[in-house]
Amino acid sequence: MEPITGKALVLAASAIGAGLAMIAGIGPGIGQGYAAGKGAEGVGRQPEAQGDIVRTMLLGAAVAETTGIYGLIIALILLFANPLINLL
Amino acid sequence: METTKQLLKTTYKYVAVLYLFSMAVSVFWVEDYVPFIIGLTFGVVISVVNFFELARTVHQSVMLHPKKAHSYAIRHYFIRFLINAVVIFISIKAPYINIFGTIIGLLLIKFVIYFANLFNDKEYFKNIIRRKEGE
Repeated sequence: MEPITGKALVLAASAIGAGLAMIAGIGPGIGQGYAAGKGAEGVGRQPEAQGDIVRTMLLGAAVAETTGIYGLIIALILLFANPLINLL
Repeated sequence: METTKQLLKTTYKYVAVLYLFSMAVSVFWVEDYVPFIIGLTFGVVISVVNFFELARTVHQSVMLHPKKAHSYAIRHYFIRFLINAVVIFISIKAPYINIFGTIIGLLLIKFVIYFANLFNDKEYFKNIIRRKEGE
């Protein structure tokens, strides 16, 4: 059996890190879905407030999405443009 | 829909201003600025399209039954997520696009939302430090 090289170790750890970073993408999706459900309930209860509900939801959803994008960027950089390999 | 349209219009206006400013700054500060500007443009265009899609999703989802709205919003979130993934992947792989430009472009609209709707309100900062136990 060949010994584990430093490069292989870094690549393996990066793949695990990328997988963990992708978990960040799930949270905003669930949160947005929950907010949309509650928004629909709110509009059903008070139809005249639809404009305000949509506006607030839109801003909240856009801000919530940011963390998912951060995780995605980290994961894709670790997988396809790993900066740690150059440090070896 | 009118308030949403107004919000989209204001956000896009600020994004355009910030985009032009970033482009001007990059010409002076970034050594190889052409790939950076291509990345910036790519990111901004995709984020603007995504924001429009988000507005459409939110507008549609409040019309649906709460359970359907939940799954509809999640489905569309993952479509946008996939689009972002493809954009970042292309930026990493293509040598003529700077990945940092794309990332800044994708996040430019988020900064606009933060500063145009949240941090521009003095009450927001007052409420952060106000104690709420007695209320």
